[in-house]
Amino acid sequence: MNNSMRTFYGWFTFLGLVIGGLVILGYYRDEYREWKQYQHRFIQEEIRRATTPQQKALAETTRVEVRQILLPELNRVDRCTTCHLAVEDPSYGGYPQPLAYHPLHEQHPFEKFGCTICHRGQGRAATGADAHGSVPHWDQPMLPMKYIQASCGQCHEAADNPAAPELARGQQVFETSGCRGCHKLGGVGGNIGSELDKVGARRSPEWLKQHFLTPSAVTPNSAMPPQKFSDADLDAIVLFMLSQTGESAPGYYASMKVIPSASQGQRLFLQKGCIGCHSIAGQGGKVGPALDDVGLRRAPEWMMQHFRDPQSVTPGTVMPKFGFTETEARALTEFLLHLRERNVVSSLPSLMNPVERGHEVYRKYGCAGCHGLDAKGGVPNPNAKTAEQVPGLIYVADGYTKSELNTRILKGQREIPALDPKRAPPPLYMPAWGAVIKDAELDDLVAYLVSLKPKGEDVGF
Amino acid sequence: MNPSTPNDPNDISRRGFFKLTLGWLAGTFAIIASAAGAVRFLVPNVLFEPSQIFKAGKPEDLADGSVTFLEDERVFLVRQGNTYRCLSAICTHLGCTVNRTEKGYHCPCHGSVFDDQGNVKSGPAPRGLAWFQVTLSKDNRLLVDKSRMVAADKYLVLPTKV
Amino acid sequence: MNAPLLKRLWQTFARSRVGRSIFRVGLPESNLERSQAMTSSFLLHIQPAKVHKHSLKAGYSLGLGLISLYLFFILIGTGVLLMFYYVPSTDRAYNEMKDLQFVVSAGLLIRNMHRWAAHLMVLFVMLHLCRVFYTGAYKHPREFNWVMGVGLFLLTLGLSFTGYLLPWDQLAFWAITVGTNIAGYAPIIGPKVKYLLLGGNVVGQEALTRFYALHVIVLPTLALIMVAVHLWRVRKDGGLSRPDESGDVIEQIPLGQLPTNKSYGLMELARGTTPQVGKNPEDEVFSWPHLVFREILLFLLVAAVVLFLAIFWNAPLEEYANPIYPPNPAKAPWYFLGLQELVSYSAFWGGVVIPGLLVTALVLLPYLDRARAGVGRWFARERVVANSIFTICLLAAIVFTIIGTYFRGPSWSWVEPWQQPPAITEGR
Repeated sequence: MNNSMRTFYGWFTFLGLVIGGLVILGYYRDEYREWKQYQHRFIQEEIRRATTPQQKALAETTRVEVRQILLPELNRVDRCTTCHLAVEDPSYGGYPQPLAYHPLHEQHPFEKFGCTICHRGQGRAATGADAHGSVPHWDQPMLPMKYIQASCGQCHEAADNPAAPELARGQQVFETSGCRGCHKLGGVGGNIGSELDKVGARRSPEWLKQHFLTPSAVTPNSAMPPQKFSDADLDAIVLFMLSQTGESAPGYYASMKVIPSASQGQRLFLQKGCIGCHSIAGQGGKVGPALDDVGLRRAPEWMMQHFRDPQSVTPGTVMPKFGFTETEARALTEFLLHLRERNVVSSLPSLMNPVERGHEVYRKYGCAGCHGLDAKGGVPNPNAKTAEQVPGLIYVADGYTKSELNTRILKGQREIPALDPKRAPPPLYMPAWGAVIKDAELDDLVAYLVSLKPKGEDVGF
Repeated sequence: MNPSTPNDPNDISRRGFFKLTLGWLAGTFAIIASAAGAVRFLVPNVLFEPSQIFKAGKPEDLADGSVTFLEDERVFLVRQGNTYRCLSAICTHLGCTVNRTEKGYHCPCHGSVFDDQGNVKSGPAPRGLAWFQVTLSKDNRLLVDKSRMVAADKYLVLPTKV
Repeated sequence: MNAPLLKRLWQTFARSRVGRSIFRVGLPESNLERSQAMTSSFLLHIQPAKVHKHSLKAGYSLGLGLISLYLFFILIGTGVLLMFYYVPSTDRAYNEMKDLQFVVSAGLLIRNMHRWAAHLMVLFVMLHLCRVFYTGAYKHPREFNWVMGVGLFLLTLGLSFTGYLLPWDQLAFWAITVGTNIAGYAPIIGPKVKYLLLGGNVVGQEALTRFYALHVIVLPTLALIMVAVHLWRVRKDGGLSRPDESGDVIEQIPLGQLPTNKSYGLMELARGTTPQVGKNPEDEVFSWPHLVFREILLFLLVAAVVLFLAIFWNAPLEEYANPIYPPNPAKAPWYFLGLQELVSYSAFWGGVVIPGLLVTALVLLPYLDRARAGVGRWFARERVVANSIFTICLLAAIVFTIIGTYFRGPSWSWVEPWQQPPAITEGR
C-alpha cells in the first residue's frame, strides 16, 4: 500500500516537473520573435539620434509590437513594417536592411499601398524567411529587384510609364513577336496556347525564362517553338509576363492608376472623336480650331479648365462638356502641350490610313506569331502541306477575294492539310477570330493584306 | 523520521513529502501557466480596426480656422493659424459620436453639449472631450496618436510657410 | 514546513463549513470516506466506489480508452480557444491560420496541440478497439457497449475529417475533395450524402460552413453524449472485462430460484441476466485512491506528450486552397488512405463493399460471436479463429494504409519512399 503510494508520488512529481518544464519551454519559444530584435535596434538608434528631450522621450516610449498596414481593398495585411521600421524616414537613406529608407513614398504612400502589392512575398508573416516568401508552401516569393518594374504594369499601362522602361520594352517585345497568334491576353489573341492574363501570379521568373528558351523543358509536349530573344529582350518579356497578374485595382486604386501622359492623351484624342472637329497637321474636321500650335497659345491651366467646362473659358463655344475625368483631362493637356516636340503630328496621319491601321491590327492580334513579321513567311509547322511551315501572306491577294479573306479570318481553319497522313497532324492551325476582331479592324486588316502584294504586279480580282 | 503506521496510505516520509511538494508546485505551476497562456492567447496582439496611430494628411491641406471630421477615426482636426490639434468625437458619457454645431459640439444620444474647446457645457457627460497628441511624421504628415491624450492647450505648431 | 502541518491545514479547510459545502468529504481517511469521495463528487461518481484489481492492471487495458478520452478533453479545450480566432470563411480561414502562426501568442502552439491530439485520438481509438477485440471484451454482457464504441470510432473519424478542411489550404481542400468523392461511390445514397455534406457539388464556402458546424457543435456534442453513455455502460456492464467473471454472471434465472446474494433478488425484482459487480470483496480495492490516482497520472502523461509534440513539430499548412492546381497525388487524410488505395483498384469494391462490410461486421460482431470462452485475456487460445480473422483484416488495413501513404506518388503510381521522387514537370 505504502509502496504503491510512493510510486504514485514519484510519478506525480516527475510528470508535474516535465509538464512545468514543457510549459516554460513553450512560453520561451513563443516569446522569442525575430522582429523584436529589430525593433529594439531601431529604438536604440532613434534614442541615439534624438536631439531634444522630447524626441528622446518619444523614442523611449516606442512600443515593441507587431506593426501592420491594413489593406482591406487589396485583400492584404502587410506586416513588413514590423521589421522595416524606417521606410518612411529619408534620414535612414542608405542604412542596412531592415532599417533602410524606401523612396517612392510620395507617389505610393505606404499606408495606402502596403508593400506586397509591388514586392510580393508574404505580408502576414512576421519572420524574415516567411515574409520574403522563399519558403515551402508559399507561391508568391518576393520579386527579384531585377523584375520589380513588372509590378508597375499591374496598374499602369506600360507605355505611359516613363519610370518603367523595361516594362515598356517587354510589352513591345510581346506585341511584335507575335505571341498573340497563339496566346490570349486581355481577351485578344489565339487559342492555341494558354491564356496569359494571370501568368505573372502563377509562374516564377525562372520558369518563364526556361519557357521562352525551351518550352518543352517546362511544359511537356508544348507546341510553342523556342524563342530566339536577345538576353535583354528575354529579361524584358519575362518582366512583362510577370506584370500580368490579373490583379485588378479596386476603388481608390483604380482612380489613381492612369498616369496622365501624352501617349495616353493621344489615344484619348482619337477615341473620343476630337478629330471630328479639330485638325492636326491638316487632318480632321474644320468646326473647331486647328490644334497644331495650341501648346504655344494656351497655358496648361487654361486647357484643364477647358476640358472640365469649355463654356467657362470660351463663353459661347459649341464644344460640348465631355465629362472627362481629371486624369483624362490631364492626359489630353499633356498631349496637346507637347504636340510639336514629340513629333506626334507626323504619326497621326498614319492612323487615318486603313492599310497602316491594318498593319496595327496584324500586330495587335499576333498574326506575326505564325505568319511572320510583315507577313513575310511563317514559323515551322511540321507536316503541313505548305512546305512544313505556316504560309506567308505577301501574295495572298492573288489567291483570295476580299470576302474569302474575310471568311478565312473569321472562321479560321482547324484542319491543316498534312503532307504525310501517317505522321502526326500539323500542330499549328488558323484560329477563328470571328468572336474577337471588330468589323472595322477586319476591314483594315484585309486592306493591309491586299496591300502587301509588291507594286507592279497584277491584283487577282 | 516520523513514526509511521505501516498501513496508512496517506502517511509519507519527509523525503517523500519534499518530492510530493515539488510535484504539487510543478503541477500547480503548470495549471496556472497554462491558464495564463490561454488568457494571453486571447489578448489580441494586432488589431484589425482603424489604427490608434494614424496619418491625417498634409498640414497645408487643412484650411486655416477649419474643423474637419474624420469618419473612420472619429476625430476632429482643428487648425487655427499654424497650430494643429485633434479632438476626440467620442462623447465621454457613453461613447456616442458627437456632432459639430456652431458653438461647439453636441451629442445626439443623451444631449451633452460641449464648447469648441471640448469642455462640458451641459448634459450628463462627466468630462470634456479628449484631445489627442498630434505630431509631424517623418514624411511631413499630421500624425495623430489616439492612445496619447494631451491638454487642450497643447498644439502642434508648424512654422508658417513663406 | 512539514507534512502534518500541510495536511492539517488542508483538513481544517476541508472540514470547515465552506470546505464541506464544496468537497463534502475532505481527503478521505477511512474506508467510508473513500467511498464517499467517489459517490459525492460529480466528476467521480460515474465510476464505482470500488474497482476490481484486475481492472487496474496496466498491462490489461493499456489505458487506451482513457487516453482517447483525455485526448478528447484536450481537443475540446484547444478547440474552444481556436474558435475565438477562427472564421469559417474561404476568404479568411487561411489568413487566420497565418495569424495564429505569426502574431497570436501561443497561437501556433495551440493549433499544433489540436492537430496532434486529433491524430493521436484517431490512433488511440483504433488501438482501443483492437484491445477490446483481442481481449474478447465485447462479449456478453457488453455487446451494446461495443456497438457504442464502434459508433464512437466512426464519430472520431468524422470529427477528424471535418476538422481537416477548416484551415482551407491545399492539403485540406484536396483531402476533403478526395475523401468526399470516396463517399460518393456508395450506391444510391452516396452522391446524395456527398451533395448534402458539401452543400453543393464542389468543396466551397458552403462545404466549409457545414464542416465547421459539424466539427464544432454537432459531432462533439454527439461524441460527448456517447462517451458518457459508453463510460456509464462500462460500469453497468460490470466494470472492465476479466477472466474469471463468467462465474459471476448468473444467467436466465428461473422464477422462484432467485439468487440470494443480491438484495433485489430477495425482493424478486430481478429478471434475465444479472451482471454482478464485486462478488468477491477481497478482489476489490477502493477507487480512491487506486483508480483516481492512476487516472491523474495517465492524464499528466498524455498532456506531456501532446505538449511535447506541439512544441517541437508544427502542424502542416500548405498553400491557400486552389481548385485549379491539385497536388499530384491528392491524398485523403492518413486514416482514409487504405480506403483510397482500395478505391484505386475498384471504386465499387474498394469504396463501398469492403468498408461497408467491415463496419457491418464490427457492429454485428458481438451478436455473431457468442462463445463465452477467453474473455478477459489477451490473445486467448480459445479465440484463435476470431483473433486470426481480425488480425488478417487489421494487417490488410495497415498494409493498404502504408502503401497509400508511402508508396504512392504522382498519378497514384508506385514509388518507393527510399528513392528520390521523380522530378515534377509542371512546376512554377
